[in-house]
Amino acid sequence: MSLPTIRTRPGDRLSRALRGLVAVAVAGLVLAGCDAGETSEDPTSATEAGSAAPSTSETVATTGTSEPSETGGGDGAVVLGFAADPLNLDFTTTDGAAIPEALLTNVYEGLVMVDQDGEIVPSLATDWTVSDDGLTYTFTLAEGVVFSNGDEFDSEDAKFSIEQVQSDAWTISLKAQMDVVESVEAPSPTELVVTLANPSNSWLFAMTTRIGAMFSTDGVDDLANTPVGTGPYEVSDFVPSERIDFTRRDDYWGDAPAYADVTFRYFSDGNALNSALLSNGIDVIATVQAPEAISQFEGGDYEIIEGSSNGEVILSMNNASPPLDDVRVRQAIRYAIDNEAVRATAWAGYGEMIGTMGAPTDPWFAPERVDDYPTDTAQATALLEDAGATDLTLDFRIPNLPYAVNAATTVQSNLAQVGITADITPVEFPAVWLEDVFTNKDYDMSIIAHVEPRDMGIFADPEYYFQYDSQEYRDLLAQADQGPAEDQAATLQEAGELLSSDAAAEFLFLAPTLIVTDGTVTGLPVNEVSEAFDITVLEPA
Amino acid sequence: MSAARDVVDATGAPVVAGTDETAGVANWSLWIGGGLVGLVVVMALVSFAWTPYDPYFVDVTNRFGGPSPTNLLGTDQFGRDVLSRLMVGARTTLFVGIVSVGVAGVVGTPLGILMGMAPAWLHRILLRANDLLLAFPALLLAIMFAAVFGPSTATAMVAIGIGTIPVFARIARSGTVQVMSSEYVLAARSAGRRGVRLAVRHVLPNIASLLLVQASVSFAIAILAEAALSFLQFGTPSPIPSWGLMLFQAQSVLAVNPGLTVWPGVGIAVAVLGFNLLGDGLRDRFDPRLAGHQ
Repeated sequence: MSLPTIRTRPGDRLSRALRGLVAVAVAGLVLAGCDAGETSEDPTSATEAGSAAPSTSETVATTGTSEPSETGGGDGAVVLGFAADPLNLDFTTTDGAAIPEALLTNVYEGLVMVDQDGEIVPSLATDWTVSDDGLTYTFTLAEGVVFSNGDEFDSEDAKFSIEQVQSDAWTISLKAQMDVVESVEAPSPTELVVTLANPSNSWLFAMTTRIGAMFSTDGVDDLANTPVGTGPYEVSDFVPSERIDFTRRDDYWGDAPAYADVTFRYFSDGNALNSALLSNGIDVIATVQAPEAISQFEGGDYEIIEGSSNGEVILSMNNASPPLDDVRVRQAIRYAIDNEAVRATAWAGYGEMIGTMGAPTDPWFAPERVDDYPTDTAQATALLEDAGATDLTLDFRIPNLPYAVNAATTVQSNLAQVGITADITPVEFPAVWLEDVFTNKDYDMSIIAHVEPRDMGIFADPEYYFQYDSQEYRDLLAQADQGPAEDQAATLQEAGELLSSDAAAEFLFLAPTLIVTDGTVTGLPVNEVSEAFDITVLEPA
Repeated sequence: MSAARDVVDATGAPVVAGTDETAGVANWSLWIGGGLVGLVVVMALVSFAWTPYDPYFVDVTNRFGGPSPTNLLGTDQFGRDVLSRLMVGARTTLFVGIVSVGVAGVVGTPLGILMGMAPAWLHRILLRANDLLLAFPALLLAIMFAAVFGPSTATAMVAIGIGTIPVFARIARSGTVQVMSSEYVLAARSAGRRGVRLAVRHVLPNIASLLLVQASVSFAIAILAEAALSFLQFGTPSPIPSWGLMLFQAQSVLAVNPGLTVWPGVGIAVAVLGFNLLGDGLRDRFDPRLAGHQ
């Protein structure tokens, strides 16, 4: 049971410790291997325990020495500041959210993509049809598409790309979402026929993520350093843990983006990231890491953009271990916790209330779930008494990430009001947390952000660290995935309601997407709907 | 006289004391140091019985409250009362000091006396071994401990204590070497006193004042080390109040709320200054040479 993901966040303890209040759900940590049982049967399968692993890079931000960037002008350049840095540029073998964040849409394109409203829209496939039985997808591919290495894109490349995911070339656990594909055919250069083993309403969405990226048959030799895609940009320079330079391609098949040069710079410390913007070292903070300090950007030319993300900050409860195997105790905890207070202290009040698994950008999002468990200490106390669980002490084992520590502090105080003692043990993230909590399930409660899009499937796996075991839930997810597409949303809403009433976990809040610009850039993607940070839509103000 | 006394400062280098005070000059270091230490001790003791508020109680409606009649020192980003946390933090600080200095004294002193009383060849080996340990930074050791055993107040203080052992061993050794050549020890030895009895009856009482001075100085170093470790999150974990941790949490909101860094900073400064002055004062008062001189 190897956990290759640990490599993606090397976790220099000292630099991590030194950073300020950091956070933001960016680095999805695939907890590979642990999910051996997960297959395509997991409908909305998301095999990642996303972690809002913040900046764990080794670089100490060099704010002071950064050169002011040029901005403005159709052929200008823009510099964006990020927190979690990619270890390399190969997301086929390396986990973590930072690589697809940088490369998807910008360098690699898929057949389909997801727009800001969460709708699946055409990309390299101009059109597609689904057979009545939901098994056969026929894509019509765009013509005149050229890879950055000069190769023409055709259906053979698409077939190759999909089959690559199924082969041993891909090692990340997300590849399991491609297991449902039975065969791929390329009857003509612009036509691709994909046959699924069973109907799946989630497969097409999965194709908008990194596993749907289209590679050239001749362009996969050095993915770690030289990504070859059809996107409007190519990587002109990559300095690990420091920056990625993107250069606009002249031979891009679609509309040319506004900026000729885009740079991603990586900062390990949230306050350093803020300072970089203040000192004009960057033009945009793409993921704010120190939300408490955001008020310094209020007023003036700075613009704060708050959007929705996919990062559900979850107070996980060990459903299989007493006393949390009792639904009443779990419900009591949900009643005891003041989610607004948790959000205020963990993320400076930014973010949205969700009440169950899912984000407002999911088509099945049900706002009424938010009101399922209002803060009610009397109700919580009554439930605890009913369950005979007074004077509880719980092992509250949290990752040593600032947002988790801050949230836990508030949760501890909330639980103390109903007589539950939550013993906080912050453990090193990712290594120790993965070992203790995720793998060994040696915990009562924990807090982590699960950043994968549409990841209700993690509750369908009784082996997952929540240890939530509900056949009814599994049936609902299977039904949602394999049943008629028009019923998917309603069925998933039902599943979400079940999660909430079972109190499978406490869904604290949804981490925000917080962006700050210096006012020279517009068009920033407000909602984090896909795995990509789309730079093609940026424009000078 | 300018005796080279083996009081060891923070870097482990021997400090050469300046000219002795003449009799009759008030020992200001002792009184001021004692006063500051007393303040911290009183704060810690009172916190056992009473704090203005529960230091763990989160009240988000009251975040970043400035000093007011209800919250004398204001509230932090969780709406927790800063004064209450400062008081309980003093407890952590003193506890760390006591345990780490205790560990260092209990292990280091016998080791030093053994060195001082051992035959020359063994003396030399032990001394070099001790110097080797002395060269190893205590903070690094503490970070290693935190990595292995997980960050907690206990690992921090044990690690700081272990890191301080060589300092005590060196002080005890040099004192012992001096005492061993004194006439009363020669007399005791000629009367048949050997080994442990000699060490306990004759050596220890005569180096006790040296050790006491060193304990006070080491106490200050330990406080600083714990604050540094907690600041780096290798020490006391959140939400247990610790001045270093309070400082760390305050620095994350430094840009918007600089005031929060002041109180834990003042606390650390007062405690460290207090113990250092106390150490100076004690040295002036107890130094056996000084006493003999007078």
